[in-house]
Amino acid sequence: MTGRIVTIILSVGLALGATLLATRASAIRLTGIHQGYEPVQPIAFSHRLHAGDLQVPCLYCHSGAGSSRYAGIPAVTTCMNCHRFVTTTFGAVRAEDDLARQENRKPRLLISPELQKLYDALGIDPVSGLPAPDKTPSPIAWVKVHNVPAFTYFDHRGHVTAGVPCQQCHGPVETMERVRQVETLSMGWCVNCHRQVNRTGVGGKRVNASIDCVTCHY
Amino acid sequence: MPTQNRKRYWKSREERDGAPDPAATDREFFDTPAVTGAAYTTRRGFLTAAGFGLAGAALSSCSRAPVVQAIPYLVQPEEVTPGRPYFYASTCGGCSAGCGLIVRNRDGRPVKLEGNPDHPASRGGLCAAGQASILGLYDSQRLTAPMRDGQRASWADVDGAIRTTLDDIRTQGGAVRFLTGTVTSPTVRSLIGAFLKPFPNARHVAYDALSTSALLDACEQTHGARVLPRLRFDRAEVIVSFDADFLGTWISPVEYTVGYSAGRTLRGDPPRLSYHAQFESRMSLTGGRADWRIALAPAEIGIVIGHLAERLARMADMPLAPGALPPAPVPAARLDELADRLWRARGRSLVVCASQDTSLQVLCNAMNHAVGAYGTTIDVERPSYQRAGNDRDLEALRDELSAGGVAALFIAGVNPVYDLPDGDGLAQALRTVPLVISFADHVDETSSVARYVCPDRHFLECWSDTEAVAGVVSLTQPVIRPLGESRQLIESLAVWSGAPMSACDLVRAHWTQQIYPRRRTDAPFRDFWERAVHDGVVEVTPDAPAVRPFGEAARGVMVPEAPPLPDGDFALVLYPTVGMLDGRHAHNPWLHELPDPTTKVTWDNYASFSPEAAGRIGIADGDVVRLESSDGLTGATKVIELSAHLQPGQHDRVVAVALGYGRMGTDRFAKVGPQWIEGRTTVGTNGLIGVSAAGFRTLANGVLRDTGRLVRVTKTGRTRPLAATQSHHMIAVPAALAPAGGARRPIVEETTLAAYVKDPTAGSLGHAEPTADLWPPDHPYTGHRWAMVVDLNACTGCAACVIGCQVENNVPVVGRDEVRRHREMHWIRIDRYYADGDDGGVDVIHQPMLCQHCEHASCEVVCPVLATVHSSEGLNQQIYNRCVGTRYCANNCPYKVRRFNWFDYPREDRLQNLVLNPDVVVRSRGVMEKCSMCIQRIQNARIEAARLGQPLGPNAVETACQQSCPARAITFGDANDPESPVSQARTSPRYFRVLAELNVKPAVGYLRLVRHRPEDGGERRHG
Amino acid sequence: MADMDVGALRPPLIAGHKTLAQVTEDVCAPMDGRPTALWWIGLAISVLALSLGVAAVWYMFVTGIGTWGLNRTVGWALAITNFVFWIGIGHAGTLISAILFLLRQRWRTSVNRAAEAMTIFAVICAAIFPVIHMGRAWLAYWMFPVPNMRGSLWVNFLSPLMWDVFAISTYFTISLVFWYVGLIPDLATVRDRIRGNGPRKRLFSFFSLGWSGSARTWHHYEAVYLLLAALGTPLVISVHSIVSMDFATSLIPGWHTTIFPPYFVAGAIFSGMAMVLTLMLVARKTMRLEDYITLRHVDVMTKFVLFTGSLVGLAYGTEFFIAFYSGNPYEQFAYTNRAFGPFGWAFAIMVICNVVLPQLFWSKRVRTNLAVVFVISLCVNVGMWFERFVIIVTSLHRDYLPSSWADYTPTMIEYATLIGSFGLFFTCFLLFCRFLPMIAIGEVKSVVAHDARSTGGPR
Repeated sequence: MTGRIVTIILSVGLALGATLLATRASAIRLTGIHQGYEPVQPIAFSHRLHAGDLQVPCLYCHSGAGSSRYAGIPAVTTCMNCHRFVTTTFGAVRAEDDLARQENRKPRLLISPELQKLYDALGIDPVSGLPAPDKTPSPIAWVKVHNVPAFTYFDHRGHVTAGVPCQQCHGPVETMERVRQVETLSMGWCVNCHRQVNRTGVGGKRVNASIDCVTCHY
Repeated sequence: MPTQNRKRYWKSREERDGAPDPAATDREFFDTPAVTGAAYTTRRGFLTAAGFGLAGAALSSCSRAPVVQAIPYLVQPEEVTPGRPYFYASTCGGCSAGCGLIVRNRDGRPVKLEGNPDHPASRGGLCAAGQASILGLYDSQRLTAPMRDGQRASWADVDGAIRTTLDDIRTQGGAVRFLTGTVTSPTVRSLIGAFLKPFPNARHVAYDALSTSALLDACEQTHGARVLPRLRFDRAEVIVSFDADFLGTWISPVEYTVGYSAGRTLRGDPPRLSYHAQFESRMSLTGGRADWRIALAPAEIGIVIGHLAERLARMADMPLAPGALPPAPVPAARLDELADRLWRARGRSLVVCASQDTSLQVLCNAMNHAVGAYGTTIDVERPSYQRAGNDRDLEALRDELSAGGVAALFIAGVNPVYDLPDGDGLAQALRTVPLVISFADHVDETSSVARYVCPDRHFLECWSDTEAVAGVVSLTQPVIRPLGESRQLIESLAVWSGAPMSACDLVRAHWTQQIYPRRRTDAPFRDFWERAVHDGVVEVTPDAPAVRPFGEAARGVMVPEAPPLPDGDFALVLYPTVGMLDGRHAHNPWLHELPDPTTKVTWDNYASFSPEAAGRIGIADGDVVRLESSDGLTGATKVIELSAHLQPGQHDRVVAVALGYGRMGTDRFAKVGPQWIEGRTTVGTNGLIGVSAAGFRTLANGVLRDTGRLVRVTKTGRTRPLAATQSHHMIAVPAALAPAGGARRPIVEETTLAAYVKDPTAGSLGHAEPTADLWPPDHPYTGHRWAMVVDLNACTGCAACVIGCQVENNVPVVGRDEVRRHREMHWIRIDRYYADGDDGGVDVIHQPMLCQHCEHASCEVVCPVLATVHSSEGLNQQIYNRCVGTRYCANNCPYKVRRFNWFDYPREDRLQNLVLNPDVVVRSRGVMEKCSMCIQRIQNARIEAARLGQPLGPNAVETACQQSCPARAITFGDANDPESPVSQARTSPRYFRVLAELNVKPAVGYLRLVRHRPEDGGERRHG
Repeated sequence: MADMDVGALRPPLIAGHKTLAQVTEDVCAPMDGRPTALWWIGLAISVLALSLGVAAVWYMFVTGIGTWGLNRTVGWALAITNFVFWIGIGHAGTLISAILFLLRQRWRTSVNRAAEAMTIFAVICAAIFPVIHMGRAWLAYWMFPVPNMRGSLWVNFLSPLMWDVFAISTYFTISLVFWYVGLIPDLATVRDRIRGNGPRKRLFSFFSLGWSGSARTWHHYEAVYLLLAALGTPLVISVHSIVSMDFATSLIPGWHTTIFPPYFVAGAIFSGMAMVLTLMLVARKTMRLEDYITLRHVDVMTKFVLFTGSLVGLAYGTEFFIAFYSGNPYEQFAYTNRAFGPFGWAFAIMVICNVVLPQLFWSKRVRTNLAVVFVISLCVNVGMWFERFVIIVTSLHRDYLPSSWADYTPTMIEYATLIGSFGLFFTCFLLFCRFLPMIAIGEVKSVVAHDARSTGGPR
């Protein structure tokens, strides 16, 4: 009798545990691997819009990738190269112009709240374009999406020189509203790619992607 | 100058490796915050990322990525790309030698100092102290604001107060004295002069804590100008040195080493080699390199000088009679031979002397004149400005002060209260002076009694210039925004004289007026200046004082009577060490932990005795002895207690003690190492590092003497073991345990010039390296194959490479107790062995030892987790984050070059962490580490070459140790490239590999040591 | 080996003309009734030592391996010494239970149970050290070929440490199974003796796997036991051979020696036998088992000690001869240094305890004087510990480059760890004496039942 009860309890518990495990299994990954990480950024910058629709080349903003270990994040002044002129959506400007014509006044300068953050960061007054006395310049703290462990030295230079497309590691950024980590960025992922390109080459070009440990660890 | 920009730091991942958190840095860089979200060191990063894997795996199912912020520039400076190193030429301020610098900058902060190859004097060399001086920039105990009566004050207050006081003094005509060390900067010199001009009674007094006053006085007597002649060791083929440690600490060691090593490289056919004889009381770095070395008591050195001078005078029939001399303590035949050598090499021979007896220096000048050294190996027309101190003025000033006749005293760059014999007396005197202004950047013995402290800047924050050698002017440019509110000396002076100006403008102004007119080109000033800033050094026509040819000055100069040495007493010799010099580097933990090139002792000074003497008075290594000496003049008795150290090759009646220790503020190192249950403090019983021996110096008759004091030595019965990195010092194993014929280990090969001329392979110990192999070669090395060759004939053991490696590779400081437990962390060490030399003397052998990157590495097979494996380019890779720390690899390494992280070594000083090289991981507790052949440099060079579409040139990669070696003893490169220097070196007949008989096939090789000796001198020690 | 053929005048293995019932009574006596004060004291001391060790290890984990007296030259010392020592101790158990079983040594029946228990506890003690001596013990699982996301980065099968991992885990598993299988009949006996239906009864019934004692059961049981014995036998040789390769495969003079595997195995059995002797002599006194562990058993085991001790002595001599004969200066120095260098005292202890003292066993009077036997067996244990210490430390501290020579002094943390390992061992052993039959009742009965003239093993 007791034995049967025990058996029932055990089996039920086992079934429950299994189902729970199965549901969470998708989320289980090794420590330090953050595939799918998609943090909220201080400015709702859309890579889809810039890199996708507007076709801005990656290296225009991330200019370091070609010459430095880090791709880097553009300085606010780089953004300003365009956003000095583009301050809000075309539609909003249109609407304002019409409104102004009706009220026959000069159209007001519209600045979208997101772009306003750029002006605030630089501490300049968008209308005059001069430093605003009441604002102190302060940089924008973006949240890093693709992190490799501190004991791993990834170098953008080599990969850009070899002609590896950015999307190879960063995924289809040009389709993302908010950037998400697509790949695992695990060591196995790196090494397998290195092994593969040594056979296939990159863009038809023969490459020598070292798989020595000291390629990344020193 | 990017550092002049108001820049925002892009916060690289690398900077996170031990970088400060915003709170800390915001304070340090005013408006240049280095901001980051996650400020954990790599070590912590290790544990979190790699450690606790299984638990982590389970947890991470619900874990989220650590939020790491990336903060870009607000305004991108044109010439800066985050993550790229930038190099600036500058001048070293580590001592007054003024060597050329190349400063490596990363993300707005200097991380490495290296020698500037374009500098005509130092030629790319940089000594240990010079390289370590970068740590002084990030010293958290540096004064960052002016002080008034020991209280932090604002510049406005201090300036106001000082100016009013100065005005009064000017009107009342009070005595103003400006006390400095040797000022090598023409700008500073002229500005001090200009500053003092308005004062009716003002004088600029300069002295050197490591004085060479007598040398300059002698030059004044014989050549009519009080200058330091420039010694051209590169032109000398016979070098006789009397107590001058010119390769280690004397005046300009790097410059001299560069020249010396030129003469020590085998050249010509038949191969030639310069001959070097050394007469000295203690065993110095230079003495260790000498072909003939004789240990003499300080008093005997004068006698030998006299005898040698007599002989040379006879040969050159000069009117010279050094008086009735006692018999020489050296066999007359050897002296004749030496005199003959000097004479035969007329115009190519050189006699140097570090004595503080003007008469002896005059005799040496006479000898140099006799052998025609002037104009060839000695340059008085284009002298050095590295030493200008005048002890006579110093003595006068001291008397003035004790008499209370000084109204205002400025003290810059020196620490008289510490340096001078009667420091306490001087301190008392200073308290009575109405206005004492110190420019010290630390609270030290002197600045603590000064009314005002106006901290000068670190030389990496300065605009300045240096004329080390007449006609060679180098620039010092700031490579970082000043940390703290310190102010440059010349700026302070400008403010107080009512014309505030930035240091940059002051230097430029002086250059327009003084340096530019001496130009050799006809470039407009702007180009001239730009070039100087770019190259770091410019050569102009020297404006040295006129000298008259050597006259009859030496006639009638006598060797001074030396008082006899009473039995039982010892003659005291005070000397500077490579690391501390006069004590100016006392705040630098790297230099404290740097093993002394000769004794291998760290973190202490000590009383050195010859083993015989020690046996006589019954003391052993580590016994604490009491040194007692009564001042000949005042009769006051001075006593210090030190651990004893047994030094082979030292004179029997001499006790040698290092200066520069026992400095105020070194109590900061009490807890420098790991703290644990059996750990012991790093400081001594006095709470400081070492004991100050300055009390034993004498300042009298116009010279500051470090030798000749008589001391009585008594045992205290206590012992305090010294922390030495080497416990067995002979190349031979202990005789009692030595197997028949196997006493001397075949680790270092050496030979003599005579034998080498006969047979270039002479001295080979014929390592039976197995040729046949059971297995096919498992490493094809199709691409590069990195290899290194160390020329033992060039290496002086100066330890510049040790510090170079430490800076480049983030090697931790472990503290005295850990070193005592043989747990030092240096990746490259210099093994120092003693062997029996000729004449019963002692030979010293220096052998730099680093990971040999074996082809058949014994460490690789035994690692269970593949944390150390062979790279396709012949490197033995150590992967820290894979290591689990079984230490089997270290046990199995025949060279014992692997270093284990026994603890988490303290890295709490966040400001100091800014010196960490962002390209190298900071290792965590429990992992093995070792020389990587500067793999980060190799990788960077490779990628850059690929980026620019060029092949990797034979000299594209320079390791840190190689780069700064003043003697150019280290060659590194691609052994697969037959053109590369390293391949050339590997084909040399002197090439050998240590422990080759083990068939581990090291990638690091050595070139045999060749001593300039008669054949038997070397053959005797073979087999 | 000891008595191979069975002589007519051979005294019975079990004294005191026991009936089968008496056997059961005597063996189970310690298990029912309250434990003696002696037992409590022993346990108290052992637990104290154990907790001391735990504290030391904990401190080491928090602070770092630096809390041990190791340095850049001597990377292994006490921890690995203890490891090899304990593994060695284990061997006697396997030998007695497996090899002597196959060799039909019926005297083993009285001691094999305890010896096997000892093996298991010793291996547990041993297995701790390779783990805690790691700089990053929390990554010890990297020693196993586990799947990972590092591009199939696996373990290095060339490394002797890797072989250790497998050798020791195998050894432990086999020993445990062997011991347990041997226990089953006795567990059943105990089960049957327990009155009532308390938890203790249930426990024993569970672990005796419903043993019925029928002829069929016995038949199967003995088949299994024989197979396991056959499986266990090679391990006696292999395990310590592999342990010895941790040293033999290196190139450090004094380690790099081909003689090591047999030398280590002999040493292991030597130390193990000594430990069995020590424990048995205590047990028979304190637990009144004089009739079961007779002078004859002691006599046989002392002969074992004598034999293996002489083997070890021979090995020492051979090492020195080879060093001298090799003409290799490093090798020669390593051994002169071992004997007359800074650690000469340790070498002296090792030679006296391992080579000289056991020679006394040639004399019958010594062999029968239990006090002397006890002392000597203790000395042998000490000596064998020092043998490992000497091999590891003296070889490392002065190897090739004189510049790197260093000394070694253990820290109190290391001593505490050593004490702790003994604490663990004796805690386990005392609990075992109290709660399990420490003599194989079933097998002993087989010896009692027939008189001494019958041949054949316990069947």
